[in-house]
Amino acid sequence: MDVVLQAIAVVFLWQNLAALAGGSIYGVIIGVLPGLGPSAGMALALPLVIKWDPVTALIFMGSLYKCSNYGGSLTAILVNTPGDASNAATILDGHPMCQQGKGGVALGLSATAAMVGGTLGMICLIFAAPFLAEFALRFGPSEYFLTALLALSIIAAVVQGATIKGLIAAGLGLLLSTVGFDVITGHLRYTAGWAPIEDGVPLIQALVGLFAVTQALVLAESATSISRLAKLFGGFWEGVRTYFHYPVSIVRSSLIGLFIGVLPAVGQSSAGLLAWADAKRSSKHPETFGEGNPEGVVASETATNACMPGDLVCTIALGIPGSVGAAIFLGVMIIFGVIPGPLVFTEKAGLIYSLFFALVLTSFVIFVIGMTVGRRLAAMTLLPNDIIVPLILVVSLLGSFAIRNEMSDVFISLAFGALGYVMLKGGFTPIPLLLGLVLGELVETNYHRALMISGGSYTIFTASIISKILIVLTVLSLVGPYLGPFWKNLTQGEK
Amino acid sequence: MMKTLRLLVAVAAAGLLAVPAHAQKFPSKPVKLIVTAAAGGGEDTEARAIAPYVEKHLGTSIVIENQPGAGGKIAFEKFQKVEPDGYTLITYTFPKSVIIEYEGATGYKTRDFTPVFAWSRSSQLLVVNAESWKTFEEFLKAAKGKTLSGGLSGRGSTTHLMGLIALDELGINANWVPYEGSAGSVAALAGKHLDFTICLATSAVSLIQAGKLRPLLLFSDKRDPYLADVPIPKDLGYDMTFIPTLRGVEAPPNTPAAVVKVLEDAFGKAAAEQGFAEVAKKRKIVLQPVGSAEYAKAVSDVYPRIAKLKDMLKK
Repeated sequence: MDVVLQAIAVVFLWQNLAALAGGSIYGVIIGVLPGLGPSAGMALALPLVIKWDPVTALIFMGSLYKCSNYGGSLTAILVNTPGDASNAATILDGHPMCQQGKGGVALGLSATAAMVGGTLGMICLIFAAPFLAEFALRFGPSEYFLTALLALSIIAAVVQGATIKGLIAAGLGLLLSTVGFDVITGHLRYTAGWAPIEDGVPLIQALVGLFAVTQALVLAESATSISRLAKLFGGFWEGVRTYFHYPVSIVRSSLIGLFIGVLPAVGQSSAGLLAWADAKRSSKHPETFGEGNPEGVVASETATNACMPGDLVCTIALGIPGSVGAAIFLGVMIIFGVIPGPLVFTEKAGLIYSLFFALVLTSFVIFVIGMTVGRRLAAMTLLPNDIIVPLILVVSLLGSFAIRNEMSDVFISLAFGALGYVMLKGGFTPIPLLLGLVLGELVETNYHRALMISGGSYTIFTASIISKILIVLTVLSLVGPYLGPFWKNLTQGEK
Repeated sequence: MMKTLRLLVAVAAAGLLAVPAHAQKFPSKPVKLIVTAAAGGGEDTEARAIAPYVEKHLGTSIVIENQPGAGGKIAFEKFQKVEPDGYTLITYTFPKSVIIEYEGATGYKTRDFTPVFAWSRSSQLLVVNAESWKTFEEFLKAAKGKTLSGGLSGRGSTTHLMGLIALDELGINANWVPYEGSAGSVAALAGKHLDFTICLATSAVSLIQAGKLRPLLLFSDKRDPYLADVPIPKDLGYDMTFIPTLRGVEAPPNTPAAVVKVLEDAFGKAAAEQGFAEVAKKRKIVLQPVGSAEYAKAVSDVYPRIAKLKDMLKK
């Protein structure tokens, strides 16, 4: 206990508090810029902090890493441009809220989500990291395959109402996920000899196209502003109050975010999407999702913010990074002489608990940033379209270019922009496409790996208890939407 | 329009005048160092760690540019065509560029690049779950009895090559299960979903120290100071070929020898700096200076070895 109290006291040293605030602000700025994610942010900041005391440096890097997600939610809500792949689902309801003039409310929601989701995630990380890490290790290829399948089954709920179009989009997403180097066989697929897509369709570049470019095209059609009524309704505090109207969603999304984060092989980008789809599925009014339902923002942002601490579970407890960002954070920790792994909790207990406590504090720092600076950005939605459209295009395409310093990525974004525009005009939603794109590889490679290990025997998919539970959940998820009405008919009789 | 033209002429003239000056004194402007992976990875971290010391000895600044994509292929293709004046250099984990050449048609050839200096060398490690075999002999006996599943950090990666060579020379078979990077294969081994994994020592070190994984063999001709009690094939009576993994810098094809000399000296001195050695120690990187000539030999040596395994790589 002494260690913990001492660790907390260390965080309150002036230089550590300054590092916490500085890292948080820098993280938000990095997050706002599309194309610059936490990975690049940490790499760029490394020369600055390399001479610092390890605790101070890690607090700076940790808060940077944790806060970049919030920056991404700002641009997602205000200008339909996800700062990083994890913010994609926030756009779905966050941006329509802006169009209705409720940008301030949406910003209140996302700041509160960062605080609540981040804190809940951190509490789990602090108290259960070794246990959660052991749990994650029990996931082998077959369990990952079934998890991805369960996630894909959520599409069934997302597409309700426009089933055919939804399935077409999901199929297109799955097809696009096969583009590039096949990890298992080593073959290049559907690249037509074009090197920029040999790693697969680049996700952030595609997102920039699907959302930002498409949005710019749509806005260019009319002469008003993002807020169609050219007025703002409600403010930050209304968003904060609204957030707590959805306790069930908050708990469910936190759990989904944490679960996705804890599993090293499942990318962070899917956490928000899955939580959003889950909230839509369990809602009494699923049709309002995507039209500016605050619950959509609540689900997506709570999940992404709970995902980051989950991501750190395996990174710190096992030394196995859960994502690209976590891999870099792992590298930074090693540079400062902290070797993540099962021994870190005894060997560097003080430093780890200082870091954890600082990361809990950053959740509140984000809220303060949102309350003071973030809320004012809502006024951006009142800018006339002829100013905001070029701004969106330049900033988002520049971000797309900056990821790899590749001009071809700008063309990829433009192509996805055109696709997004056509889909929008044809009444397709991009969500099934995104889910397919994000989950396709996970399904395919783990299916392949499991069969390689079992020597072709399918019993590997039902061997473990986790597998059996996942199968039952997937079946329920698929038939659930149809079971409800059926049950109603059965109990109430034919009318 | 006229104004622009005149300006262009003036700039061109200035450029012409500046040429002899360049030849006399290198370097006279910042040097760009291309990293073939995203910011923050192992290659990037090492480049950023050594850069300040190179700046000190080279007397100019180093600008790091990340050019990830297609495992570095995009960067290699562009690098082939760069002006060979020593102001653009590339750093990557050799021999990944050679493996890419064997995987499909490329416009570049690694043997055309001008090796400058490499500062570290790493070796692959055979690891198993600590609850399974205790020694390499036990492992070998089990592997001869049934086909074991082995994790790889990627198809066509150096771990894949080393695994193929080792199994070939030991006369055993395995089910290769490729992952994207070593995180996946190490995690799957710790969770007992795989029988063994081949990875760089640095990727597994924390789980080894915690007693979750056990290293059985280091594929090298020298023991690793950070894993001093792990045997190498020679200790066990095996004569094995190795694929050395080098991290260093290369210049574009046909870079003048005088320029290479200046760069080699600067990188060599930087790699010997105390500050860089400290970072390397923390990351458990084995520093070993490899000069331009030795680097060039490593490049020409690796081609026939990879060529031999070409068909196996594509399987």
